[in-house]
Amino acid sequence: MSTEPALMPLVALAKAIADKKISSREATKSCLDRTAQWQSRLNAFMTIETDEALKAAGQADAALAKGNSRGALHGVPLAHKDMYYDAGKVVTCGSKIRRDFVATTTSTALQRLKDAGTVRLGSLQMAEFAYGPTGHNAHFGAVHNPWNIDHITGGSSSGSGAAVAARLTSAALGSDTGGSVRMPAHFCGVTGLKTTVGRVSRAGAMPLSQSLDTVGPLAQSAEDCALLLGLMAGADPEDPTAIAGALPDYMAATKRPMQGITIGVPTAFYVDDLDGEVARVLDETIATLKREGAAIVKVELPDQRQLSSASQLVLAVEAAAFHKRWMIERPQDYGPQVLMRLQNGLAVPAVSYLEAMRWRGAALSAHAAATAGVDAVIAPVSPIPAPTIVESDVGNSLEADAVLPRITRFTRPVNYLGVPALSIPCGFTRSGLPVGLQLIGRSFDEATLLRIGAAFQRATDFHARVPKAA
Amino acid sequence: MTTPTPKEIKAIADVAGVPVSNEVATRIAGSIGPAFEGFAAIAGTLPFDLEPSTFMLAQTAGARK
Repeated sequence: MSTEPALMPLVALAKAIADKKISSREATKSCLDRTAQWQSRLNAFMTIETDEALKAAGQADAALAKGNSRGALHGVPLAHKDMYYDAGKVVTCGSKIRRDFVATTTSTALQRLKDAGTVRLGSLQMAEFAYGPTGHNAHFGAVHNPWNIDHITGGSSSGSGAAVAARLTSAALGSDTGGSVRMPAHFCGVTGLKTTVGRVSRAGAMPLSQSLDTVGPLAQSAEDCALLLGLMAGADPEDPTAIAGALPDYMAATKRPMQGITIGVPTAFYVDDLDGEVARVLDETIATLKREGAAIVKVELPDQRQLSSASQLVLAVEAAAFHKRWMIERPQDYGPQVLMRLQNGLAVPAVSYLEAMRWRGAALSAHAAATAGVDAVIAPVSPIPAPTIVESDVGNSLEADAVLPRITRFTRPVNYLGVPALSIPCGFTRSGLPVGLQLIGRSFDEATLLRIGAAFQRATDFHARVPKAA
Repeated sequence: MTTPTPKEIKAIADVAGVPVSNEVATRIAGSIGPAFEGFAAIAGTLPFDLEPSTFMLAQTAGARK
């Protein structure tokens, strides 16, 4: 493992700071130095707060020297998607409309990480209002993939994916409404956890779709995601949809072996029309899981296209409802592609929307019945590796219009079902682009996904590879 | 469920208070149409007593297993 602080996984970095082997200032400076090296090519950060970060790191070191640790992430420098309200800070949500919006509250997820002692490095780029799957942004420019800057990062947590992959921050919050944690994780070669609806409070996180929005981390490893989830999860008086009850020990789950796990491989949909390299990585990963002790079985899932369609109807309506006022008053201030997506919600009658909402419980029950014999289902995050920025620039060509629905095809069903999914790096294409796969789990059973992910990552090194700076 | 036509979309958007042009209505129909088609087999078939809160019941039932 590297001793350069910015290259260290979150768990190792937090321990090194706690053990006073590395100071918070050294860790923060290391991240800022790498950011200075990469930012002009990646456009991963929205704001870089060098002076404030170094000052906060110095204070963290001083507190630790006096024996005062704030928590499990004392002095750890992090940056997050620019949609988590942080009182007193500008939170743009990737938009022109909120370019000067100063938050008056702090999101619960972010506050819980701050309470654990984190140092703020700045904020990370994102798709405008988290409504785009590629990483393009009409106002702030596209975020570039660290493995090949001509290619997309995926979105909407584009900056989070790029920054974690390039080791500018050891972890970052993203959000997943239609795949926005898993797609950047897949395209950028990092680990991303889409949490169960209700697992992490969404209070103070910019809304896109109240039924589908979830808060989740991107990090180097499943173990890092486990640490973050354990700090963020649980009930919150500010968000009544956050479920109460005892939480599993996620870190303990990552120490458990692969033996005893059964993984389902879908017989259709997720294995159809795959790019050859994604299909190869899927086959190789299944072989690795089997070699490590997992039982592999076939699973017949209910019609996933219906789930995806229901997800699109719900998202379209809820997003349009959130944005209605600005669609009337400030339509010219949206990027054209985002305005077009928002306008789609105007076409869905209320009865159709409510039918999609009424079916959700029945669809989840059917999914649970179909997967009752397995601990997780494995599937590609996307049928393709990262396309280029040019070929996925919607409106640039007819071919680009065909790329977007293909990118999101495998992520939307999970959002409709509300179940958790962990995207893990599983290989690389011959041209050096990462390929991730998602493990889809049972409601509120993130622990099993993290267990499988960590066991897989003990047997492989895809998650530990770092793109080279030019 | 049938996909709304551009004419119907224009009317719905007007009622919603966010009027759109004919051109935009046509574009929307093409963009959201596949979602309606994909959901067509479910639309109009749901049992009378099914309501959205059954999702939370299904979540907790799934978590108990």
